[in-house]
Amino acid sequence: MKRFNIAIVGLGGQGIITMGTVLKNAALDSDLQDVSGSERRGGAQREGYVETFVKYIFYEDNSELKDPKKNMHSPMIESGGADVLISLEPLETLRGAYYLNRNSTVILNEMPHIPISVRMGQTSYPELSYITCELEKITGKIFLYDFDKISLGNFNSLTQRNIIALGVLFAKTNIPIDKTVIENILSAGKGAKDNLEAFHIGLTL
Amino acid sequence: MSKGNLFINGKQGDKGIVLGNEAIARGALEAGIGYASMYPGTPASEIIAALDKNKNNIENLYTEFSLNEHISLHGAIGASWSGIRSLCAMKNVGLNVASEPAQFLSYTGVKAGLVLAIGSDPGAPSSSNEQDDRWYSLHTYMPIIEPSNIQEAKDFTKEAFNISEDFSFGIMLMAPSRLCHNAGTLHFGDLRDRSNIKGNFKKDPENYLNLFNMAVKNHSKYLERHNLLKKYLEDSQFNYTVPPDTKKAGSKIGFISSGVIYAHLIEALDILEIYNHKILKLGFTFPIPDKLIKNFFEGLDKVVIVEEAEGFLEFQIKKMAYETGFRGEIHGKDIFKAAGELTLDDVIIGTGKFLEKAAPAFFDFAVKKSEELKEKLPQRSGTFCIGCPHRATIYSILKAVGFSNTDAKDRDVVIAGDIGCYTLGLLPPYNAMDFLTCMNAGLGIGQAISRFDKKKKVIALVGDSTFYHSGIPALLNAVQNNADILYVILDNSWTAMTGHQKTPSTQKDIDGTLSNNPVNLKDLIKSLGVSYIKSLDPNSVKRFASQVKSALKEPGVKVLIAKRECILQEVRRNKLTQKVSNVKIETAESLYEIQKSRCVKCNECFVELACPAIIPKRDNNENGEYYYIDPASCVRCGVCFEVCPNSAIRKVEFDLKSELNKKVDKVKLTEIKIQI
Ligand SMILES: Cc1ncc(C[n+]2csc(CCOP(=O)(O)OP(=O)(O)O)c2C)c(N)n1
Ligand code: SF4
Ligand code: SF4
Repeated sequence: MKRFNIAIVGLGGQGIITMGTVLKNAALDSDLQDVSGSERRGGAQREGYVETFVKYIFYEDNSELKDPKKNMHSPMIESGGADVLISLEPLETLRGAYYLNRNSTVILNEMPHIPISVRMGQTSYPELSYITCELEKITGKIFLYDFDKISLGNFNSLTQRNIIALGVLFAKTNIPIDKTVIENILSAGKGAKDNLEAFHIGLTL
Repeated sequence: MSKGNLFINGKQGDKGIVLGNEAIARGALEAGIGYASMYPGTPASEIIAALDKNKNNIENLYTEFSLNEHISLHGAIGASWSGIRSLCAMKNVGLNVASEPAQFLSYTGVKAGLVLAIGSDPGAPSSSNEQDDRWYSLHTYMPIIEPSNIQEAKDFTKEAFNISEDFSFGIMLMAPSRLCHNAGTLHFGDLRDRSNIKGNFKKDPENYLNLFNMAVKNHSKYLERHNLLKKYLEDSQFNYTVPPDTKKAGSKIGFISSGVIYAHLIEALDILEIYNHKILKLGFTFPIPDKLIKNFFEGLDKVVIVEEAEGFLEFQIKKMAYETGFRGEIHGKDIFKAAGELTLDDVIIGTGKFLEKAAPAFFDFAVKKSEELKEKLPQRSGTFCIGCPHRATIYSILKAVGFSNTDAKDRDVVIAGDIGCYTLGLLPPYNAMDFLTCMNAGLGIGQAISRFDKKKKVIALVGDSTFYHSGIPALLNAVQNNADILYVILDNSWTAMTGHQKTPSTQKDIDGTLSNNPVNLKDLIKSLGVSYIKSLDPNSVKRFASQVKSALKEPGVKVLIAKRECILQEVRRNKLTQKVSNVKIETAESLYEIQKSRCVKCNECFVELACPAIIPKRDNNENGEYYYIDPASCVRCGVCFEVCPNSAIRKVEFDLKSELNKKVDKVKLTEIKIQI
């Protein structure tokens, strides 16, 4: 059995849940494939921490698929268990850093959302260089983009930043899923044209 | 869900990616339910929402977002007695409200199957407590079924309807947030024929009447049924032992678990590479199968029970172990914490320690690293959406009572909190609530405080959905007993916090259709005997604040209705009905901007109002930091414009069409870059 774990973190309203849903739907191709992963939804309110997990499971054979010690999967990812961490908010990347191990890939958005505590002058927002430096102490595979700017520049809207990040996931990691599967899912969904375009932008970053 | 609408059309052989809540709903659909109701509550809301949004395409299905859980469960009972299989869902604390119908359900029994799906919320990310509703079964005698994953969520729900009918119990299905909001692979089954779902209330006084000795008789009847069910569960598909790996010698330590925690356990043991223990999986956790557990004990010195919260299984198993003479060690809550969510990490650490097996190096490294980091990170808490009317209401109230938002303890008013999006006002920077517990505690506790502490004015807050839930009797009580209190109803037309279900206040649905029977809240309140009622738009913050001030001077019960729709819903409707989309800058017709030359950084908009669309910005070619309204996220509510004491915020209006024709503006707008 092989696992490929993706943790996606960010803030309410950034489209984190959608990213998880798109990725999970890519796991229907084979009977020897499974997927699990829960979402932490921060209610409807904004600016709160949100995370979602996508855990792909690939069974060796049918006997493993039927083995009760192998075919039951936690909805969570353990510390250090993520192959990839995608973060749409720089500070939250550090909060999600406990999913990382030395081989993990990190894809992060460089556009900060300042928490209330910073607004009130009680703490300060860490410099981007501090954030990347801390991440580099864990893994060398770090990809940093201004997804907000790229989305605004191409779509006049922030709503495509999550799908652009998905494109980067397929360009920069060894995710064992065919990108055409994602393209098919996106083209069957809402806003297909923009989403496909956003995905392709991400693929070329 | 992908590929057409599998939720309603899926059949044996189909598979799809489904949310835990949808899987429960689908299981109920496969079982042929004709009734589904709930009062919304995270994490359970999507159970009924999934059915409700598809109801027009499902034959003979009635769905209802009831006004509260008490009514909702009674509705399910009425449907069941009419021969209709019924599903009722609620969040964990909902059962406190529905506990009265639940207490009677075992006495009377059901007719058609009834399943009560409970969404619990360990760690309370969306709740005001962590209550484990499984304990209710010790006195309601409602059996409990606990699925571990998406597939079981559907299969168990479906089967629970048969068991409900066979043993005449309402069955409680426990789903913690980690199951409700897990999404994974589901293999569908076939749907029952729905054409013959028809109600017929067959009178059954033997069971339905509970008075004096009839109640006693029904009591002993359900104890008998309970024992029959217990026997049935001894060798049902729901409870089974997973044997140890045959290649290695079996250990004298065995594990017992259920639900999502069982999934954690299986994965934790796999991560720790431990396979030589037998594991008992309990699908039903009330009643528990005594004989099966007794057999499981055989050959064991130690039993470890892995579960969340206070140890409901441990409590039962220790009792039966005593009765059956097992004298080995039984562990549980001495290893696994009761408060907070029990995570996969917790299970790895607890199990590893107990079995003296080291966790893999990558795990220890990550745990250590994150502990180092955690201390240095600024906390982040959620807040109101950009443009939320609750922000304006809370801000106005704080201004009216004369204190800045940072010194709540010194305020000489008491602000009674309640449950909903407006609860976020208790977080910084507002710190606008002095207590918060359950629904309608605000006015309930507040009216007594107003009676005994005459020095402080009391303001109680409530949302429209919370008010209709159980606030009407609380308000009537305040009026009848001459309380001295200001009651602010934050009427945003929706049950916003739990995913925007309608309330009796909803006038226009999200697709623009008008409700046929919205309540006139003002008239309703007047009819309760309140004479001081004002309804106004909270976004006019100055007017609202002065209204709060004058109301506080009046004696008796005063009601202010802060009337403005949830901005999220307004924006969604505008998008749906193809009117302006506030999200796209290119279609904006006005912008708010802070003029650098006038802004003195007094922090009125930035800290006191704290709209997240106002952000600090630093330009390389300028000195220092300045405040800036991010046009991509501002929804142009205009509240900051009103609060600025220095007239530094201005509204820029332009003619969209001509601006777009110029094209230049589009470029300029997309160049907008936010920096910090
Ligand atoms: C007894 C009980 N049932 C359900 C809930 C879940 N719940 C939390 S907030 C909320 C809705 C509040 O709606 P409203 O009062 O209108 O405030 P809004 O979120 O719209 O601001 C509900 C139903 C709960 N906390 N307690
Ligand atoms: S969902 Fe609506 S009521 Fe809730 S915080 Fe957002 S705007 Fe306010
Ligand atoms: S107008 Fe001001 S208060 Fe309203 S959303 Fe925009 S920045 Fe926030």
